[in-house]
Amino acid sequence: MTTTVASGPTPVMNRLISRTVEKRRPLSVHFDLTYRCNERCLHCYLDHDDHGELTTAECIAVMEDLASAGTLFLTFSGGEIFLRPDLYEILAAARRLHFDVSLKTNALLVTTERAARLREFGVRRVQISVYSDVPQVHDAITKVSGSLQRTLAAIPLLLEQGLQVKLACPLMQENLLAYRGVMALAEKLGIPYVLDLTITPMMDGSGGPLAHRASVSSLLPVLQDPRLHACKPQPSARVNRVVESSLASLGSAVSSGNSAYEDLPCSAGHNSCYISPYGDVFPCVQLPQAAGNLRRERFSDIWYHAPQLERLRGIRESHLPVCSRCQIRSYCERCPGLALMEGGDLLGAYERACELAEQKARLAGVLDPVSSLHKESRAASLRENSGNEIASLVTDTSPN
Amino acid sequence: MNTASVLWQKNPALAWREIDNATVIISPNDSVMHELNDTGSFLWKNIDGYKSAADLAALLAENYEVAPDIALADIQSLLEEMSSRKLIAPVQAAVGESR
Repeated sequence: MTTTVASGPTPVMNRLISRTVEKRRPLSVHFDLTYRCNERCLHCYLDHDDHGELTTAECIAVMEDLASAGTLFLTFSGGEIFLRPDLYEILAAARRLHFDVSLKTNALLVTTERAARLREFGVRRVQISVYSDVPQVHDAITKVSGSLQRTLAAIPLLLEQGLQVKLACPLMQENLLAYRGVMALAEKLGIPYVLDLTITPMMDGSGGPLAHRASVSSLLPVLQDPRLHACKPQPSARVNRVVESSLASLGSAVSSGNSAYEDLPCSAGHNSCYISPYGDVFPCVQLPQAAGNLRRERFSDIWYHAPQLERLRGIRESHLPVCSRCQIRSYCERCPGLALMEGGDLLGAYERACELAEQKARLAGVLDPVSSLHKESRAASLRENSGNEIASLVTDTSPN
Repeated sequence: MNTASVLWQKNPALAWREIDNATVIISPNDSVMHELNDTGSFLWKNIDGYKSAADLAALLAENYEVAPDIALADIQSLLEEMSSRKLIAPVQAAVGESR
């Protein structure tokens, strides 16, 4: 579940999404510049050793390809991006190429000077991970003493520069109810926040971080919290209708409608993708099937021709073998990547999503909600039991 | 002031991208998103710090079936609006006025 108090789609954004999905343009790219980090978060899915990060020149060449391919929204993340000594060179190139740039950081290394440089290089948004407003809770997750204090100290520095700041709070066993404090903190600062219940396996598929995942039953207080359900998305970008209508008199209007986005599991591989610090291109950070490597191929060759992406683009929700029949599908936030990592099948259902959907449906008043996956497993169990009974009867009635 | 001779440049702080003949522009200060259709995108590409409304109108008339006087009127109106939205700015008022 992802709950946010900001970033709602606008008509321009809706048209942009439709157009880019239809034409397969990589509108939005998440680019991890490093997996190195100065925190060691309990739930982190990354290997923090440097296995050969893209050089500055390679990063800039990748960005030039992305700009040519139509990428507008570029998110730099990590690891911790401020550990890249060439961060400002990369940001300067991003500005020259006219990207809309967002950063994800733990903000430990943000200073007044660095915040000013982010502004200078046109960064628009900064998302900061905060696990609790209680230092002991936050610091126990990051394993860095004093980290909450340093992270929180950075926020006003960024806000003073006019940057948009958002708090991101992944929820796990160790901070399950801390979201209340993070919400209050965000409200006090007047900034948006996002809560995330997604704790994923390591990128190599091993399940270390999953040991920290909160059980679905323990999430009940979060799922029931009326304040979260009251959160209405607010537009992050308003439409300049005047300019739009004025331009319409000079030529044909842009395409409208959003039918191109319907029936897709998500945006991964359609108009968004993920690039690792080593140049691997994935449909999404949560879908670890590399489609190619930018040290060997150009981005556009990977984006338009990789079989992994072509296959992904062919998937439709209505064709999913189990989930398309599910009666509580509307309560489900199935992720294809997690379906692959946790269930072993990109097209399949997986336990966590089904449990969460059932819980949400129950809270919404659905009587005895059962996902298709659980219905099928119950039916299989019944068949097995009834088969055993028949065998038992046959045995009983056999003449001795 | 002869506004037709003012030279215009893009606001360098903007994020923007032309995707399939439409251009989306985002102002980082206020996060307002603007959208230009194909003709608007054509003009946007040509707002380079060296062209005036008259130059842009001539280009538009040359590349699209628009009468020069209509093109100029539309473009002047559009440039004023873009300027008021801080998407573009005169290169230097003094330079523009002296042309």
